[in-house]
Order: sequence, then structure tokens, then C-alpha cells
Amino acid sequence: MIRLEDITVKFNEFVALDNINVQVKEGEFFTFLGPSGCGKTTTLRVIAGFIQPASGKVYVRGEDITPVPIEERNIGIVFQSYALFPTMTVRDNIAFGLKIKKMKAADIAEKVADIANRVDLSQEQLGKAVSQLSGGQQQRVAIARALVTEPAIICMDEPLSNLDAKLRVQLRNELKRMQQNFGITTIYVTHDQEEALTLSDRIAVFNKGVIEQVGTPNEVYNHSSTEFVCNFIGDINQLEPALVAKINEAKPLLHTNQTHYIRLERVAVNQEGNEGALTIKGLIKSREYYGMYIKYTVQTPAQTIRAIVRNDGVSIYELGQQVQVSIKAEDVMSYPQKEAGQ
Amino acid sequence: MRTGSRWLKPENIFRLFGLGLFIYLFFGFMILPNVNTLTQIFSTKNAAGEADPFAVIRFFFAGSMGTYVLNSLKLAIGLVITVNVVGISVVLLTEYFDIKGARILRMGYMTTLIYSGVALVTGYLFLYDNNGILTTALHNAYPHVDKNWFSGFNAVMFTMTFATTSNHMLFLRNAIRNIDFNTVEAARNLGARPMKVLLKVVFPTLIPTLFSLTVMTFITGLCAMSAPTLLGFDSINPEIVRLAGSSVADEAFPQARAALLSIILALFTIVLLTGLSAYERRGHYLSVSKTKAKLVKQKIHNPIARAFEHIYAYVLFVIYMTPVVMIIVFSFQTYSAIRMKTLDLGNWTLLNFFGKADYSYLTSRGTYRVREGAVSGLFSNADTLGGIRISFILSAIAAALACVIVVVAVNYIFKNKKKGVILEYALLFPWLLPTILICYSYRTYFNSTDVWYVGNTNLYYMQNVRLLIIIAYTVVKLPFSLRMIKAAYYAIDDELEDAARNLGAGGLATMMKVKLPIILPSVLAVFALNFNALFTEYDMGATFASSYGTTYAMVMQSMTREEGLYGFNVNASGRRAASTVFVMIVSGLVLYLVYGVGARDLGERLALKEKRRQRRQKVLHKLGTKKKTKNLAA
Repeated sequence: MIRLEDITVKFNEFVALDNINVQVKEGEFFTFLGPSGCGKTTTLRVIAGFIQPASGKVYVRGEDITPVPIEERNIGIVFQSYALFPTMTVRDNIAFGLKIKKMKAADIAEKVADIANRVDLSQEQLGKAVSQLSGGQQQRVAIARALVTEPAIICMDEPLSNLDAKLRVQLRNELKRMQQNFGITTIYVTHDQEEALTLSDRIAVFNKGVIEQVGTPNEVYNHSSTEFVCNFIGDINQLEPALVAKINEAKPLLHTNQTHYIRLERVAVNQEGNEGALTIKGLIKSREYYGMYIKYTVQTPAQTIRAIVRNDGVSIYELGQQVQVSIKAEDVMSYPQKEAGQ
Repeated sequence: MRTGSRWLKPENIFRLFGLGLFIYLFFGFMILPNVNTLTQIFSTKNAAGEADPFAVIRFFFAGSMGTYVLNSLKLAIGLVITVNVVGISVVLLTEYFDIKGARILRMGYMTTLIYSGVALVTGYLFLYDNNGILTTALHNAYPHVDKNWFSGFNAVMFTMTFATTSNHMLFLRNAIRNIDFNTVEAARNLGARPMKVLLKVVFPTLIPTLFSLTVMTFITGLCAMSAPTLLGFDSINPEIVRLAGSSVADEAFPQARAALLSIILALFTIVLLTGLSAYERRGHYLSVSKTKAKLVKQKIHNPIARAFEHIYAYVLFVIYMTPVVMIIVFSFQTYSAIRMKTLDLGNWTLLNFFGKADYSYLTSRGTYRVREGAVSGLFSNADTLGGIRISFILSAIAAALACVIVVVAVNYIFKNKKKGVILEYALLFPWLLPTILICYSYRTYFNSTDVWYVGNTNLYYMQNVRLLIIIAYTVVKLPFSLRMIKAAYYAIDDELEDAARNLGAGGLATMMKVKLPIILPSVLAVFALNFNALFTEYDMGATFASSYGTTYAMVMQSMTREEGLYGFNVNASGRRAASTVFVMIVSGLVLYLVYGVGARDLGERLALKEKRRQRRQKVLHKLGTKKKTKNLAA
């Protein structure tokens, strides 16, 4: 559906995107994930046509759209700020693109009513000013405005970042439902890993203008292909050589010339230890209570290690209490050690 | 071939035309006339008719010309002190301290926003000059009181002090309202007493605003025109206007002297504004608060201090309000009541506003003579009506032109950050020049048929002067319009433009359908404020001093003279009062439209519309019910 081929973007001397190659399938919910300044929004703007790449091509359904002007690309965008026109009513905002296309008034009215219905906007809300709507409703208007012109692709640039935590989770689910209903190819930009993991069919993880990994949420989370992805997604423990040596004593699987990581939920903390895993004694150093789970920091003779334990309401350990920490060699993710200066 | 066709693209032709127009306007109407004024200084001739380039400079140091400069400086320095004392007082009293009747007091202190310049000075004269209502009342009560007390330096200082505090009421008031109250609470919590908080926490945050206000007040004092002219004080601007109208036959090289004084004024302005902008560039106090708390008014607990605070506030209120109330009241009084300086509560009239009446008076021969239509209302007097018409048309055209030029320019400035800077500085250029210099330069430079780029037409000749006034008004209003409209442009989120383009809109459609509607309230506000200022503008009209460009302010100023002489102009004082009331209404209406109606966003407008609809339905429903009941009863 969308293919980015060797895309490079430069801002003066700064290389914002360096030889980006990625393919998005028809109907896919594809997410660009990465920290601020990594190039994800720049890539989105290249696809939409706001930025012309220094080199490389953008293909949509096999057609090279790199030289096509923004207004002729047929790509809908939901902006981070929603970019709703404040001087227009909700109805006029949604109808804007149709009016520009000089459609008949009756057709515009029909299309606006239809799209409003599909994104759950009432007739009454259509007559309101955008400033009279809540954040969630404004997001719906932005989506409706982007979809009403029936674009081939919809791009969303951190559309949930302006909302409070609770609404964000609620709208995240709605967004996914809407995308499935419309069946439209969606490119979603976010720096929020949880958002990316819950929404996406596939994720491209960006770092310093390059794509580090493209994969399903499970691939990216459990089989991170680079040290950056492994560190960026989820919380993680880096294993010290002393602990690696101990794990190897139990099961010699880890190379000593590599850097090893283990996710917090893969570290077991209990009183009796786990069979088939390295089990070492430790003392509870700190405890963070999250309700559904508890995060412990445990001091072992080898290193301090953090772990997440499901809150069963029974096994809640006190500070200073002795526990057993179990780690399986299979759960460890290993990467080649960085050379000096890297 | 390819190069040629590329250059023939419509946008390139449009760009080239724009560049040509910009160069024409900038050099033709900003640079050349003023450079001509500068050269006038050095083009003097001695008695023998030989060129003597430094004659006027020698004259300046040898003669009394320096007095005008010193007087203007004296006025400017004096005003900096008095305006700041009164301005800071009125703002603190209404915004910072908890005082009884603050709302009423604020309204009183803000009256200078709706009448200023000639309207205000003539209003003050109406009360305080040797024939004024209050002076007469005072003299009747205390015969030893000097009837001419309200003239010269003291009168100018008094009038301008209260006239100029309107800037404090606008800008210092905003600065105080923006103070984060948490900082005040924090200081109190750390043991500071209220006065200490005011001096150590509140004042430092106001210093940038106060600095700007001080510079603006200084420039206002230096460039004062209407007050010194009407109250008789020898300062630079009235002297420039006098010299501009003088001839070589009357005195030594008057034009060169006027030019020199204009340039001196410009140098002062340039130095002050450069200092101000350097200070502004240094950066200011910025609130680091993420959750700003609204200022809670501070109560003075010491009963003596509290009593003093109230007495001071209300004395100022009386000073501000007396002219306003008296002018409004006397504008509805008959000419005989005004002449007797007594309020005739049983005899009110609208004659000062509308209609005409004959006037019979006793001649020196002991016979009565009737002068037809000698008593005329503001809207029935040909001169006044003519002034209003001229001012209305010229101000409206110039205010609109300034807005159109600036909107187009700002769009270019935001799109072309580097090249836009040149355009921005060119539009801010008139700020460096006193308005008097610009007008004087236009008057002398375009008073010839030698200026090729205006088609060798004398623009100072007959009706052409109106075009010259429009150009001058527009040029003078460009810097203010630019600052205001540019600030409004910052409110346009870049993503809105991206969104419009993404939805298929081209450059022009994005401008007309998305950007312009967003900035339109600000553009209309700038138009209204420009119009307001120009409608009662006196300085420029007086500098042009043409019978074809007699503005409303000039008519108002002329009303102070020759009242009732030979049975003419009988109710000039009444019409003057009515004029001031009219100016107040126009200004008040403009301010209401700008800050009241214009400030509403679409949401508020729709909510208001809905409210009105509901109210209408309620009334219709009630009427329907009543009708039904009646029918049933029948």
C-alpha cells in the first residue's frame, strides 16, 4: 500500500531521516514509535507531502507520489492539536474539504451527516463551535474531517497527547474500533509505547532518523532486535557480569561478550524460588504499589534488580524482608556489546 | 526559453509587482520627503542671497529657538513624574488594593480612554479657562482668585497628566492583573509585610511595563501639540506648525527652522525608542508559574492609611469626572445658561446637537438685531458637519488602508522569515519619526509640481491635500497596526494551515477561509482603534493647515475662539460641549465593539444567539398563551 524507499531528509546539515525504507500493508494500523526528535513526525510529513525528501521516493499503491502536491495526495491527517478551524462550526469544519472540492451542497450535507453518525457526533454538536466541545469530541471532529473526503490513507500525529490519562485510554479503544470499522490504512505517530502496543498491527521503532525495528507489538516487545528498542520499550534490568556468570552456572546460555537484559515481569520474586531458573536470595529495598501489580527493587549479592509481581493480595513483601529472585536464561535478551565511542 | 517562461509565472509577476510597489511607497513616501526636510536645514541663504548652510544652526544657538526645545524637555520630564505618580496610583487603587467603590472609580479613571486630544483640552478649557464654569464659580466665591490661572505650563501639565494616564490604565492594569498571586502569598508566608510585598515582589514585575510607559510619556510630552496650542505654551510642535505657515518676508528662514526643530524631535524619538528596544531585547521577568493564581486585592488594615487611601482615590475621581459630568450636563443647556455659567435645571435643550435658532442681540446703536441661524447644533452647523464628514472619510479610508497593507505584509513576513525582516523594519520606520515631521515633510515636499513619481501633481493644492492627509494618516498608523496584527498572526497554529492545505485548499483559499477569519477580530479592532485615534486627530490636521482638509478636531479647536462676536457663533461653547459628548459616544461605541462584541469567539456568539432564540421563543409562547386566554374569555 505505502512504500517508503531510501527516504533521506536534511534540514541544513542535520540529517533528520537517514535512508528510511518501510512498507505498510493495505488496511493496516501501522505505528511510528520513538522518542522526541527521532524522525517519526518528519516521516509522516513526508508521506503527507509537507516535506520533500532530499532523496528517496514515496509510493502509494505502486504509484510514485513524491512530486504530487499536498492537496492532491488524498491522504487525510489528524493533527496533534487537531487543527480544527476555530472560526467555523463543527459542520463547516467537516465540510471544509468537500467545499474546496466544490461538491454540491446537498451531497456535502449528506456526507457530513453520514460521517458524523459514524464517529458518534450528534446533529446538535454539528451546529456548535469547536471550542464548545470536549477534547474527546474535538478528536472525533478531527477524524471525521480527515475521513469525509474518503482518503486512501489516514495519518494521525499523536492525536491523544492533549488528553488526560483516563480519556486517552478510552479514546484509544474507540480509535481502534473506528479504524476497524472504516478499514482504512492508518499511520499513527506516538512516543507512547503503551499506545503503540495496544493499537498497532505493526510498529516501526525510530531512533535518530533511522528505523531500528519493524514488527508486531509482540515481536518488538519480546524480541527486540536492537539494544535501543529493548531499552525504549517497557521497563528493563541490565544484567551485571556477576549475575550473568551466576545464570550461566545454572544454564550456560549467555555469552559473556554481550550485553544482557531482562524485563521486570520476567523476574520472579517469591519465598520458595522457581524450578529451572537461577534463584538467588535478596532483600526488599523498595516497594512501589500500583494496585494491579507491585514493583520491587531487590538487593541481591550480585546486583540490584527490579521486578514486577502481580498483586494477589497475599504475598506482599515488606521492606528488608528476605525473598528469592528467579531468572530464566531463556527470558534474557542479549545484544552485542557496543564498542567504545558508539 | 525555460528561464523566460519561469519568470512569466503569475506568482512571480505578482511578487515583482509587490516589490515594485513596496519600493515606490517606501522611498516615495517615507524616505524622500523626510530627506528633503533634512536638506532644507542646510539650504539657507544669507541676506546677500549666498548659500549659507549653517545659518539656521547658528540661529538656533544665538536666538530663542532653544527655548522651545528646553520647554518641550521640561514638559516631557515633568510629565514623566506626574503621569507615573497619577497613573500608578489609579491602577494600584483599582486593581491592587481593596477599596470601596473600585468599579466606579475605575470607570472614572478610564474616561480619558473615550475622549482625549483636542476634545479633552477643549473640555478642560470649558471648565477652567478664564471664562470657564469652574473658574467663574471660584472667582465669584473668592474674588482674589486669578481668572487666568489655567494657562501656560501649569495648565498643560495638569491637562496632560490626566489625559496621558489612559496608557497606564490599559497596559499597567494588564501587567498587574497578570501577577501570579502565589508569589504575593509566598512573600507574605515568608514574613514580608504588605508594603514590602508591593515594593519587592510586585513592583519588580511591573518595571518593564513602567519603563515602556515612561518612554512613551516622555515622547508624548516632547511631541505635545493640542494642549500647548490651546493652553498657550511655547513648545516645539506648535512652533513648527507656526513656522511652516510663515514666510521669509516675516522672519528669517522659517522653513529651515521648522525643519531643524522637526529633525531635533526625530533625533530625540530615535534615541528614546532605540533605548526602549534595547531594554526590551534584554528580556524581562517571566512568570515561571505553571498554575497562575488570580490576584486577590490587598486590604490596608491601618485605619489612618485606609482613610487616606480612600480620600486620595476619590479626589482623583472628582478630578477625572468633573469635566466629563460638566460637559455632558452643559451640552444640554441653553447658550444663555452656558454664558452665565450657571446650571439652569428647568431649561434643557438639544439645540447644541440638532437644529438651528435665530439670535437677537442689542447693537451699539441701541437697536435689536436678529442674526438668523446664529445658534446651531453640532449636526446642523455647516462647519462642524463638514469637519465631521472630512474626518470620518479620511480616517476610515486611512484606517482601512493601514490594515490592508499590514495584513498582506504580515502574511509575507510570516512566510519569508529572512526577507520579511526588511519589510517589517520598513513598516516600523514611521515610529522613529514624529508625526509632525512626516506631515511637515509632506506639506513642503509635495507642495510642488516637480515630484515626478506622483505625476508632477501638487498634492498640497486644493482637494489634493485630502489625499496627502490620507497617506500621512496611513503611514503614521502602520507601526501600530503591524505590531497588533502580527501579534494576532502568532495565534494561528501552523497546523491549521497544514490542515487546510491537506484538505485541498490552495494558498489564497487558506488565507481567505482559514487565516483571515481567525485574525479578523484583531484586524477589525485595529481598524476601529486607528479610526478612533484619527477621527479626533489634531496634530497632523493642524500641520497640514489647509482649508480643504479642515478636520473635526480643528473645527473643535476653532470653536474656542470668537464666540458670540457680532452675533455669530453664539453657542460655540455649547456646541463644543456637544462635540465632546459626540466624541465620547463614538469612542465608547468603538471600544465596546472592539473589546465587547469583537472579543467574542464563535462559541460565545453561538451561545448568545441560542440564548436570544430561547428568549424570543419564551416571549412568543407567552404572547400565544395570552391570546389563547383572551380568545377563551371571549
